Amino acid sequence: SIIQNDRKTHITIETLSFFLCSFYLVFSLQEFIDITLSKTQRKTPTVVHKHYQIHRIRHFYMRKVKFTQQNYHDRLTQILTDFPKLDDIHPFYADLMNVLYDKDHYKLALGQINIAKNLIDNVAKDYVRLMKYGDSLYRCKQLKRAALGRMCTILKRQKSSLEYLEQVRQHLSRLPSIDPNTRTLLLCGYPNVGKSSFINKVTRADVDVQPYAFTTKSLFVGHMDYRYLRWQVVDTPGILDHPLEERNTIEMQAITALAHLRAAVLYVMDSSEQCGHTLQEQLMLFNSIRPLFANKPLIVVANKCDVKKISELSEENQKIFADLSADGIPVIETSTLTEEGVMQVKTEACDQLLAHRVNNKMKGKKVHDVLNRLHLAMPMKRDEKARPAFIPEGALLRRKAMEVDAPKRKLCIFLFLIPEVWEGHNIADYIDPSIMKKLEDLEKEEELKEAAGEYDSDEESEDEEMQEIRVLAKQIREKKYLMVVESKEKDVHGPRMPRTATKVERKKLEKEMGNLGLDMDNKDDVSRRSRSVTKKRKREASAPPTSKTRSQSASRPPRDQSGLRDAKMVKKTKKMMKNSQKGMNREARKGEADRHIFDLKPKHLLAGKRKSGTTDRR
Amino acid sequence: MPQNEHIELHRKRHGYRLDHHEKKRKKESREVHERSHKARKLIGLKAKLYHKQRHAEKIQMKKTIKMHEQRRTKQKSDDKTPEGAVPAYLLDREGQSRAKVLSNMIKQKRKEKAGKWEVPLPKVRAQGETEVLKVLRTGKRQKKAWKRMVTKVCFVGDGFTRKPPKYERFIRPMGLRFKKAHVTHPELKATFCLPILGVKKNPSSPLYTSLGVITKGTVVEVNVSELGLVTQGGKVIWGKYAQVTNNPENDGCINAVLLV
Repeated sequence: SIIQNDRKTHITIETLSFFLCSFYLVFSLQEFIDITLSKTQRKTPTVVHKHYQIHRIRHFYMRKVKFTQQNYHDRLTQILTDFPKLDDIHPFYADLMNVLYDKDHYKLALGQINIAKNLIDNVAKDYVRLMKYGDSLYRCKQLKRAALGRMCTILKRQKSSLEYLEQVRQHLSRLPSIDPNTRTLLLCGYPNVGKSSFINKVTRADVDVQPYAFTTKSLFVGHMDYRYLRWQVVDTPGILDHPLEERNTIEMQAITALAHLRAAVLYVMDSSEQCGHTLQEQLMLFNSIRPLFANKPLIVVANKCDVKKISELSEENQKIFADLSADGIPVIETSTLTEEGVMQVKTEACDQLLAHRVNNKMKGKKVHDVLNRLHLAMPMKRDEKARPAFIPEGALLRRKAMEVDAPKRKLCIFLFLIPEVWEGHNIADYIDPSIMKKLEDLEKEEELKEAAGEYDSDEESEDEEMQEIRVLAKQIREKKYLMVVESKEKDVHGPRMPRTATKVERKKLEKEMGNLGLDMDNKDDVSRRSRSVTKKRKREASAPPTSKTRSQSASRPPRDQSGLRDAKMVKKTKKMMKNSQKGMNREARKGEADRHIFDLKPKHLLAGKRKSGTTDRR
Repeated sequence: MPQNEHIELHRKRHGYRLDHHEKKRKKESREVHERSHKARKLIGLKAKLYHKQRHAEKIQMKKTIKMHEQRRTKQKSDDKTPEGAVPAYLLDREGQSRAKVLSNMIKQKRKEKAGKWEVPLPKVRAQGETEVLKVLRTGKRQKKAWKRMVTKVCFVGDGFTRKPPKYERFIRPMGLRFKKAHVTHPELKATFCLPILGVKKNPSSPLYTSLGVITKGTVVEVNVSELGLVTQGGKVIWGKYAQVTNNPENDGCINAVLLV
C-alpha cells in the first residue's frame, strides 16, 4: 500500500531512517528515577523558609512537582515517538520485527509506557490543585513529597517494559539496512549449501562460513555493482522443510525476506549432497516454498559442482534438474570454491531482474508520464539519395596506423595473489588470457607512431611573430623565477614593507633600467626627471622657497627621532614608552582615563547554587 | 554473528590486544580503591544516597556470606515443640478449648449500647476550629467575618448542592472533596480503593461530622461490595466502617483501615 504511493523516494528514506539514526537509549528503572529526581533537586530552587509569604512557598513546591512531571513526560514521550509504529513502516520491516520481537509484546510494552505517562500527568495535576489550599510550609512540603513519590511508584510498575524496550532498541539498531525497494538478489536454500560463500564471492560482505548448519542466523546484506547500478544481495539463514507453524525465529526471518522483498530469487542447491540433505529433500523444500516465488525471477543454482557435476549425478537426480529447466527456470552450475559459474549466475539473475522490473514499470501508470515526454526524432528522408556518415581522410589514415583497439587499463598483477575485487570492481571482468600479447602489440604501435612523427608538434605552422613572442615569454619566465628566488633569499625579519616605503638608490635604479634596455646616456636630462622637480627648476624667480622646501623634504627627521641625539637614545626612549604601556595593556585599558568594565556581572561568580565545598567564598 | 557486530567480529578474527587481559585485571583491582575513595570523599546529598545504597549492598553481601557459612558448618537442629505438646505428667488431662460462639448481631448490639467501638486509633489529637476552619472576610469593607472555609479534606454526598452563596456559612472547596479512600483489610493485608458512603464520626467535634470533614481518626463508611463479603444469613455486605489512619490534607489521599 505504501509502495504504490507516488512519493517513493520519500518512503524509502522513512523506512530506513530509524535504522540510520540512533535513537536515545531507554533508561533502566533505577537510573530513570535517580536521574529525574536528582535533576529536580539540581535545577529548581532549593531554599525556602517558613516566614516567606504563603504564595511564594506554594509556588516553590508546585514548581518542583511540575518540573518532575515535565521530565517524566518528556522522556516517556521520546520513547514512544522513537520506537517505530508497526503500522507505519514497510511491511517487510513490520513482519521482521514481529518475528524477532513479537508484535503483541511490543505493542503492549509501548501501551504500558503510554498509560504510565498519562497517569503521571494526572497525579501532577491533582497535587498541584491540592497545593493551592496548602496554608503552611509543612503541608506544602508533604504534598510535594507525596506527589513525587506517587509518580515514582507509577513508574516502578513499568520496570519490565523498560528493560524489554531497551533490548529491542539495541537489537533494532543492529539490523542490517535492507532497502526493500531497490534491486535485490535473494539467496535461499537448505543450511550449508553455500549461500554465504556465494555472497562472499560476489560482494564485499564478510559473512561467516563454517561447516556446521545454521552458521548464518540472521539476514545479511552485501552490495555489488553491475551495469553501473548498485545491487543488494541478501543472504538468509537456511530453511528446513517443515510447515510454517513449526518454524523457529531464524527460519522465519528468511521466510519474511522471501515474502516481502521483490527480488530475484536464487535457490541454491547442493549437487554433492554435502549439506546432509539429499537432492530429493531439496527438491521437496523447493516445491513447498514455491508459492513464495510467484512473480519473482527465479534461478536454481547447483552449487559445489567442483565436487560433483550434474553430469556425474544419478539418473533421477539429473532428471530433477532437467525438469526444472523444462519448467523455464534456468539451472546454472557453480562452484564458490573454484568460482566457475558464479559470474554467470550473477549476470543472469541481474538481467532477469532488470527485465522484470522494466516490464512492471511499463505496465504501471507512471510510465506514461515519462514516455509522453520522450520523443526520438528521426529525420524524414527527402529523397532516395543515400547519405552515409562522412569520415575525413586524415582520420582514416590515423585509424589505420592504430590497429589495436584495446583501451589502456591499469593492471597490477601480483604473481600468485590476484585479489578478487579491486576498488569496487571485479577483476574477473577484466582478465584476458592474451593480455601480455596485447601489451606487446600496443607498445610496438606506440614506437611506430613516434617514428612516424605522430607526436611531433607542428612547428612549421608558426610564423616569425609567434616565435619572437615565444622567445620573449621564455625570457620573462626566467627573469621572474630569478626575482622570486632573490626575494626568498633576502630573509627579511619582521613585517614586509611595501616597495614604496623604502628609498630606492639612484645607482640601483640606473642599473635596472639599463638591464631592461632603456637608454641611460642622458641621465640628467631635464626631460627625464620627475615633473615636480623640473617645474621647480624652471621657476627661477622663487629660488629660495624651492631650496627651502627641497631641503626640508630632504632633511626633516621622522617624528620619533626628532629631539634625540643618537641611536642609543632612540632605543632608550622606545623602551620607556613600551614599559609604560605594558601596565595599561595588561588591564586592557587604552589609557589612564579608560575605566570601562567589560563584564559587570560575570556569570561564573554570580550564578549557580552555593554547593557544598564552595561556601567559604563567593 | 549479525552483520553489525564489528567489535565481536574483529575479536573473533584477530583476537584480543596483547595487553588486554592484563589491563582488564588491573582495572578491576583498581575498582576497590576507587570505591573507597568515593566513599570517603563524597559530601552532601550524593554522599547520603551513596551510603544508603552501599549499606543495602553490604547487607545483601553479609546475608549471602552467612548462607554459605551455614552450609559448611554443622549445626544442632532444634525441633520446635509441636502445638499442644504437653509434659508427661499432664498427659491424662484433656485440653479445653473454649470457643464462645455468639452471633455477630448480638456483639454489635452490645457495642452500640456501650457507645464504644474498638478502633485501631483510640486517641487522636483534637483539631481546633482555627485549624480546620479558615475565616473568610466578606462585605463591602471586608469587615464581616461570618463565613468559614474548611481547610481539611471533606466528603460531600452524591446529591449535594450548595446553598445559595449569599447564605452559605461553611464553604467546602471542590479541590478538597474526596470520594474514594484506600482501605486496608487488616487480616488480608490487602488494600482496595473503595468509594466513601459517608462520614460516621469525627472524633474532634460533631460539627465536623455534620460537615463531612475527614481528618486522622475519623470513622468513615465505605462501600465494600467489591470485596464480596457475605453474612451468615446469605446477605451481601456492601457497607462497612473504616478508620482514617493518615492526614489526608498532607498526603492528598485517604488511607483507612477496615474495622472488622
